[in-house]
Amino acid sequence: MKLSYRWLNRHVDLSGIPPEEVARLLTLHVAEVESTEPFAPHLSAVTVGHVLEREPHPDADKLGVCRVDVGSDQPLQIVCGAPNVGPGQRVAVATVGTLLPGDFKIKKSKIRGVESIGMICSVRELDLGDEHDGIWVLPEAKGEPVPIGQPVSEALGLDDTVFEIDNKSITHRPDLWGHRGFARELAALLGRELLPMDLTLPATGDGPGPAVEIRTSLCSRYLGLFIDRVRVEPSPLWMRLALLATGGRPIDLLVDLSNYVQLDLGQPNHLFDRRRVSEGIVVRSAAAGESMKTLDGEQRELAESDLVIASGDGPVALAGVMGGEDSAVQAETTELLLEVANFDGLTVRRTAARLGLRTDASARFEKHLDPLAVPVAAARVVNLLREIQPEVVLPGPATDAGDWTDPSSEIQLDPGRLRGLLGSEISDADIAANLRRLGFTVEGSGPLRVGVPSFRATRDITIEEDLIEEVGRSIGYGALPEARLLAEVAPAPRDARRELVRKVQDRLAGAARFHEALGYSFARASVLEQLGALETPHVTVINPVTEAESRVRRSVAETLIAQAVQNVHHTDSVRLFEVGKGYLPELAGESGEPGESHELGLVLIRKRGTADAGFAADALLELRGVIDDLVRSLGIAPLALDPASAAPAPWMHPRASLVGPDSVGYLGRLDPRVAARFELDHDVAVAALSIDALLGAPPLGSPYRPVPRFPGVKLDVALSCEEDRPAAELEQLIERAGKGLVASLEMFDLYRGEALGEGHKSLAWHVVLQADSRTLEEKDLTKYLDRLQRSAEREGVKLRRE
Amino acid sequence: MTDSQSGQVDFDQLGAVARQKLDSATDDAGVRSVEREYLDKGGVVAELLTRIPGLEPSERKAFGQAANALKVGLIEAISGRRGELAEQRVEEALLAPGFDGTLRAKPLDTGSLHPLTQVLREVESVFSSMGYTILDGPEVELDYYNFQALNIPPEHPSREEQDTFYLDRDHKLVMRTQTSPVQIRAMETLKPPFRVIAPGRVFRNEQQDATHEHTFHQVEGLVVGEGVSVGHLTFTLKRFLARMFGGEPKVRLRPGFFPFVEPGFEFDMGCTFCDGKGCRVCKQTGWIEFCGCGMVHPNVLQAGFRDRKDVDLSRLSGFAFGFGLDRLVMSRYQVDDIRQFLSGDVRFLAQF
Repeated sequence: MKLSYRWLNRHVDLSGIPPEEVARLLTLHVAEVESTEPFAPHLSAVTVGHVLEREPHPDADKLGVCRVDVGSDQPLQIVCGAPNVGPGQRVAVATVGTLLPGDFKIKKSKIRGVESIGMICSVRELDLGDEHDGIWVLPEAKGEPVPIGQPVSEALGLDDTVFEIDNKSITHRPDLWGHRGFARELAALLGRELLPMDLTLPATGDGPGPAVEIRTSLCSRYLGLFIDRVRVEPSPLWMRLALLATGGRPIDLLVDLSNYVQLDLGQPNHLFDRRRVSEGIVVRSAAAGESMKTLDGEQRELAESDLVIASGDGPVALAGVMGGEDSAVQAETTELLLEVANFDGLTVRRTAARLGLRTDASARFEKHLDPLAVPVAAARVVNLLREIQPEVVLPGPATDAGDWTDPSSEIQLDPGRLRGLLGSEISDADIAANLRRLGFTVEGSGPLRVGVPSFRATRDITIEEDLIEEVGRSIGYGALPEARLLAEVAPAPRDARRELVRKVQDRLAGAARFHEALGYSFARASVLEQLGALETPHVTVINPVTEAESRVRRSVAETLIAQAVQNVHHTDSVRLFEVGKGYLPELAGESGEPGESHELGLVLIRKRGTADAGFAADALLELRGVIDDLVRSLGIAPLALDPASAAPAPWMHPRASLVGPDSVGYLGRLDPRVAARFELDHDVAVAALSIDALLGAPPLGSPYRPVPRFPGVKLDVALSCEEDRPAAELEQLIERAGKGLVASLEMFDLYRGEALGEGHKSLAWHVVLQADSRTLEEKDLTKYLDRLQRSAEREGVKLRRE
Repeated sequence: MTDSQSGQVDFDQLGAVARQKLDSATDDAGVRSVEREYLDKGGVVAELLTRIPGLEPSERKAFGQAANALKVGLIEAISGRRGELAEQRVEEALLAPGFDGTLRAKPLDTGSLHPLTQVLREVESVFSSMGYTILDGPEVELDYYNFQALNIPPEHPSREEQDTFYLDRDHKLVMRTQTSPVQIRAMETLKPPFRVIAPGRVFRNEQQDATHEHTFHQVEGLVVGEGVSVGHLTFTLKRFLARMFGGEPKVRLRPGFFPFVEPGFEFDMGCTFCDGKGCRVCKQTGWIEFCGCGMVHPNVLQAGFRDRKDVDLSRLSGFAFGFGLDRLVMSRYQVDDIRQFLSGDVRFLAQF
């Protein structure tokens, strides 16, 4: 919401308090001022000119050539096409070099052969309204023609500053949705008087008042008042500028007046053309199937939950949201019905939300307005109108219908509790003084009896803490002393999960050279389709950002694979991991919340190696190594990973995947069909491990072995066998043949070739033999290899000896 | 015969040749080869010694002594030569050209931790050192925890502003819009006094641009105990900022509205980019909004500690705060587009 500095000045004398100070006070004590800007800065850039004469243009009937005195040595020659320009007028002149709204810079020019130095501005050219049928003839100021050569803003006293208030910071304050509310706060902060308003309705005629019938509990008060002998004309300059400053668009006096009072007091109101509501006013719920055309020209289908103002057959206004087009004030309107009412906030909010029609009025009603503000606003409308059009009369009394109650309340405030919560030594007297300045009454001692004024009591101030906030912000939170927390708290228990996750991250980002990614919790439909997981049940959002992002990921892998694939466009090798959460609808809890799976996902992509790179260049083999190392570094016993009987996830290779025990997860190759859908010709390995399963996994025993006292002997061993014999069986042969001498073995080659025959493979290991009590000799090696050869042959395995 | 045999051995000459060979040896291998030739099994000295039994008894002693003297002399010479060579190497190393500091080897191939992880770890470490326990909560949350228990009833206007992602028509389940629900979960499980923080991922249904994300990260804080006051809140946050940013931070507390606190505040820190003078980052105000905070609303305490016989609500108060982690990281590293965080782009990730 925008506030005008000049406007605030109408309610509280701000002399000596510059706008910057007002902004500071409001921000620190009331609500956030998002910006403080000068209003219409171009008004300072245009100069008051005096039109000396207007001659017809020699070559254009509609143009005139004016000589305009702008206070310089020579009058300026300006070509002007406006029909209303004439000698003797004071006008707004943009001289050469002036920048007008829309980045329009005035230049010296020739118009149909006649030189023109400057421009005489219309209201629209100065961004002060829509009128563009002639130039703006400046009004007199204080009964005198405005001084020639002065900036227009200064000459007319129009300079103003606009404060933009963060609406979110006043959602709880119905009283702050108009200038008077903020003025009240400033008056309290500055110790100045909130200027009184004339709230007496002038004498009314003895005709009948409007007929008002309220058929709903959702309208607590409805005041109707006839106003006669009204003329529709442009509103006075001060009002138009006030509306412009606060972001409005002046239309005509009646529309502007209604808006002005709303922005002044925060109380919406509406003016009907009386001829259109001649059958009296009924406030009721909309009937099923009813519809109406609102002021914006839209035909609105109404729901029974909407509240309408009806007259005769049908609705004439959507209560608290927008008036109807048919009952709106017309150019020839002379008789009005003024409506000032209090509608139920929730109802107005629902209607506005349902129709997508959030208006200044609905935004105010939904804050729960004070019913006592109704006659105040009515008096304000009438008195302002009579200032502008003194001939206006009220033919009959106001009808003030409804069953409202004064929301004012009383709350007990324990000053000790206040001091405790604020950590302040403020005295009872100061507490009372601060509250009184804001309009509260305070009585009693010990517990104070605080009277909450009606304009704060509808929702905002209901409990003791609300009063504590009032006192706290009044004295200023900056004035409260800081204090160290002294209470003993139990030391935080060890957090095994957090520790494990940190170790995982550190190991993977460190030794394993993986990059940690974070992915969205929403998996795109297109990606799920590529992954073959579109049909898998997902938790879904019913109001997604886009329809394609409605599914909440089941697994970190669903987003991580897509992220990794994206990187292939600019690099050949990708190593990504994420520790994150997936959601499983089939594991819903008591209240329907889906199962949460805390997961580690890994993706390793590399360019496919040439055929002979075989063993070393296998993504899955490398990822397996990463996971073995990770598990060991976590102090977990090696995971027994077995070939999966089926794909462990829709995107995994059905025959080249491994799964661990106790739902620990899987690793394997990406299904080639999935890779093809990603148009990927790379070698891709994927793993997903459950953090919970890792937390519960059996620990690794002590890794310690005594440091060897005698040197070991290294040798390479190659064994060949049929294709489907697992490497682990061969490793068992190697170990057993050593009779305890095999200290380590490390696979380094996998070979398939013609020499071995179809369906055969050869694997090779670096083996270290070592004895505890002596240095091994040549003959020990020979004996070992002989033993290995014999046991291998018994198993149908061939030892390849060089 | 023996005379002549003995006379055939010119020990001096033998020694001189060996020393010459040693002198011309320029490295340890050369020295070793001389050593092998003369002193190893089957070497020159050993061969001389095998001759002794065949000599005249009268000659044996002298021959033996001479051979031994040769051996001892050679051992010394070899060791001396080795010493010389070692010294020479040290001198050469000292005289070698200095190192060109602009030379670069291939950069170490490393992985990286996400910047959000790195900064969050700092945050966690600072709060841990102040006695805080770190809690987690679910990202798919019950409406009760995300709203109702936080004093945000079904029709509360602030629900609209939060642009909630709902998971069902009844609006019972939401993607949590804030980390505040963990406040309630903490109250349900812990016994006051306690101090907790709860970092985590939150969701708001917003259009994305360089400064807006529908998925971002917050750190919630909650302290509950007897006599907890506004001053404690200020002190705590100030202390936290001092440890995160160094120095004595300039801070201010001003009114702010959040349904689950009363009084509620906005906590601003002096702009670190311009030292409070006013710049583009702080929109010329000299201040940067750091977090929303306040004293825990009594309704929230009541919801969190409902049915708790071991808790005396009348004696308790507390403060809570919640700040955005993404913005902290953006300002730390001057990241200009929040969407990078969840992009998974290695060109971004590898920088940290």
